Amino acid sequence: MSDVIRNIDVLVVGAGPAGIAAVARLGRSNVSVLWIDQRNKPGGAIHRRPATPATSIALPNSVKAQWQRLEVLITNSPVTLTPQTTFVGLDSEGVAVLEDRISGASLQVAARVIIFAIGAVERVLPRPGWTLPNVWTAGGMQVMLKETGEAPKGRILVAGNGPLTVALGAQLAAAGNAPIAVVEAGNPTAKLQQGLRLLSNPRLLIEARYYLNTLSRHDVPWKRGTRIVSIERGEDRLHVRTTSARGDETFIVDHVALHDGIRPNSFGLFERKSAPLIIRAGDCREALGAVSAEVDGAQAAAEALAHLRGEKPSPTPARIEAERRAQLVLKELFRPAYTPTLENLPDDTVLCRCEGGTVGTFKAMLTRNPGISPREVKLNGRFGMGSCQGRFCADNVAALLGQAQGGDVTIEASQLTGIRWPIRPVQISSLIRDGNDADTTQPKTRTK
Amino acid sequence: MTSQTFTFDGRTIAFNKGETLAAAILRAGGSTPLAYFCGIGSCQSCLVWCGERRVEACLTLATSGAIVSSANE
Repeated sequence: MSDVIRNIDVLVVGAGPAGIAAVARLGRSNVSVLWIDQRNKPGGAIHRRPATPATSIALPNSVKAQWQRLEVLITNSPVTLTPQTTFVGLDSEGVAVLEDRISGASLQVAARVIIFAIGAVERVLPRPGWTLPNVWTAGGMQVMLKETGEAPKGRILVAGNGPLTVALGAQLAAAGNAPIAVVEAGNPTAKLQQGLRLLSNPRLLIEARYYLNTLSRHDVPWKRGTRIVSIERGEDRLHVRTTSARGDETFIVDHVALHDGIRPNSFGLFERKSAPLIIRAGDCREALGAVSAEVDGAQAAAEALAHLRGEKPSPTPARIEAERRAQLVLKELFRPAYTPTLENLPDDTVLCRCEGGTVGTFKAMLTRNPGISPREVKLNGRFGMGSCQGRFCADNVAALLGQAQGGDVTIEASQLTGIRWPIRPVQISSLIRDGNDADTTQPKTRTK
Repeated sequence: MTSQTFTFDGRTIAFNKGETLAAAILRAGGSTPLAYFCGIGSCQSCLVWCGERRVEACLTLATSGAIVSSANE
């Protein structure tokens, strides 16, 4: 490994709204900043940029306005992004290990503060067939649409729970391939009056109306109170069986986009009692969306600066609390009646997509050892032991374990996965490759 | 649209500058072993061999002449 880079005050991981806002704030002060992101351009997921400038998709004004603000911040900031670089972990002395994914070498950075702005991960509930080819997450379909300006070809079904499915459905329609339906497990319009009174956040209402109007213009049915029972592979298409109070309906499609909410990408993120100071900002701290992330990023930078100066940090901005209340209303509006349980999921339903662990395997483990611990569930059943490090299974397995062992106990995903680095997979060859090789790119830092 | 290409499991795939491997492979269509899912590098479903490195197709920019193949378990 290369020598440790030691002149960094703040390491900022992530270039979505929170990371951009953080480096903009830091850039106005006299501190040295190293800013990294796994991708080659800023924007994160919500502001995924098109690969070619000609392609862009329909977005509400509030979203476009945020990107315009963020673009100005990036242009005016002296901090440049070191692209395609990931955070791997902290060693026992608090030195950060990063992976430069272009050269395939690792870097060691001793920063005084680390701000994580690494966003959210989607929740996807277990359903028979959710790991079949051409079944994507709604967010995954959305970023591909944003990157290419093109919707996938063929018939698309968007399904799950939460407002992102409506946004994706509208964006697909505007891009020329409206989904044949958006299937929603909740029933938000049944409580809309109540929701509207509580929702003193006009931006969210305007965005909702924009997307729902688009769906309506393209005759895309929004099937509320409807959930997927199974996805099966037909000759060359997917057969999706759904059920609702109105009865059962099967959709025959080429692509399915699934989504059941978002949660912080906090897997492996750790607290520390000694240096460096760790601060989380944006969706990886609390999944409140892009506008909150922008405020949160600036707040994280202020906290970092206060720490470097030996001052006390300022209190959380009122804006964050307002966004939190609005998100709670949205969550309540969309709350589905259905929860997956060990009783209603077939035994061959995959729980762990990386390792193939099924509901049946899990039930067998519980039968042998009803008091099994979350860690034993992982180590013995391999749930959460694959490359995604539990990002797409640990919440679901923890929920099922909690149900089985007494519904009033909440088991956290981290109890199953543990908390250790690497916080994302890294190639061993990167860890041993000398960063001082001639063809290794040096990170861009802004020094004092 | 440029005429830059890479190969995926021996198949020639055209791409636009600035695109990821995943975007180009998915646009090429047809039956493909690329298992795209989350699009943000979290699920690790879309791992491929790009030269000698194992990378997420959804994070890795396509480069001209790259030799890409589906991940072997």
